[in-house]
Amino acid sequence: MTGPRIATAVAGVVTALLLQATLVAPAAITAQLSLPAVLVAAVALEAGPGTGMCLGFATGLVADLGSSHATGLLALCWLALGIGCGLLADPRRSAPAQMLLAGLTCALAVALATLGLTVVGEPGGTALGAVRALPPSLLGNVVLAVLIVPITRRFLRSDLLNRTVVGHG
Amino acid sequence: MTFPRRPPSRRRLTKRQRIAAAVLIAVAACFLAIDLTGSGLRGAHGGVRGALGALYRGTDGVLGPARRFVQGVPHAAGNRETIARLRHENAELRARLDQQADDTSTEVALDRLRLAGGSARVVPARVVALGPGSGFDWTVTLNVGSQNGVHIGHTVTDGYGVVGRVLHTSATSCVVLLAADPGSGVGARDTRTGQLALATGRGTDGFSVSSLDPRATLQVGDRLVTGPAGQSTYVSGLALGTITSVQTSADGTSVAQVEATVSPTALDLVGVILSGTGTPAQAAR
Repeated sequence: MTGPRIATAVAGVVTALLLQATLVAPAAITAQLSLPAVLVAAVALEAGPGTGMCLGFATGLVADLGSSHATGLLALCWLALGIGCGLLADPRRSAPAQMLLAGLTCALAVALATLGLTVVGEPGGTALGAVRALPPSLLGNVVLAVLIVPITRRFLRSDLLNRTVVGHG
Repeated sequence: MTFPRRPPSRRRLTKRQRIAAAVLIAVAACFLAIDLTGSGLRGAHGGVRGALGALYRGTDGVLGPARRFVQGVPHAAGNRETIARLRHENAELRARLDQQADDTSTEVALDRLRLAGGSARVVPARVVALGPGSGFDWTVTLNVGSQNGVHIGHTVTDGYGVVGRVLHTSATSCVVLLAADPGSGVGARDTRTGQLALATGRGTDGFSVSSLDPRATLQVGDRLVTGPAGQSTYVSGLALGTITSVQTSADGTSVAQVEATVSPTALDLVGVILSGTGTPAQAAR
């Protein structure tokens, strides 16, 4: 992984977390939309399971530490999301199909996280709630994927992130 | 179009990727175990919350108008009806005001008593970020923190009713657990009967209330305010909501559904009541 890719990933994760808390969550507090999860899915669908798992784990861990629930829950769920989407990566897949896939996998990851809350004994998460939230979550995450997938595709397929500085040793 | 930098197949994890995945899963499981069994990660939580809180404050300076617009969209249709309803109520209240002249002297006396008891200071704050909601804790981040005198446990109000209580603080921001959080309980008092009850948050659906005294009657239209019950740390007397329906079970116990006074999805300017119930930030999570 090159330096520019790591810097871009950090910038992308921080931006996604900030936009999630300040813009996405206020717009849809009951719909379980997750911009960071969509970012993880979009990157993994493009770059494969290795990048997906690292990005998913790191993003989930930061989100966990910044929240009130038990640390490690989102890290686990988004790690699974990164691996799952990475295994489904196909460079020949069209952008709309990739958007749908990113939205669907994110909705499943969010439902998995809600179920995880019940497993670890956190109040609020119920299996019924996770199932009920699935349709609006799917719709909302697909909308987010429509915005995010083209950007990640363009970034990861361009030469911008692979350029290295020459002449320094 | 060709994709020269892509490996030929990503359908399976390589051996190194499998090892990396196993290590990351083990690390996440360790974090979960540490966080669930003790407070070993409190410092890390505090550091990340403080850093994110500072970033939220900065981001809200730019995105605040957009956030307020987005938050107002779901309520736009209801605002016209609300204004018409409030105008109607206002006219009724004005008519009643003439009949309540006798009560004015009592009211003045009560105000005097309240002032004699010492009024708590209220720190105004703005909501700069919302938590994940739905399943996870229903939290908001405010742009005031311990350097403004805010401590864990302090009650937050929007001026009309109870919003929640402070869960975590950093120097410049704090995280508030909303009273509407499905996992949180609020001590309540029925203003009609004076009976104490326990209100449990139901997210955007308001509260579910059961009276502490099984013989107490809950009626549709009863107004509830915060009151002492159990481990409640809320300041007493803040409006909680109005009972909209009551279900009585076979054993005679009643559970009421309450429409909340404060909408958890439309919060912007709030106030932290600096009463004596707060504890320093170093206290337990």
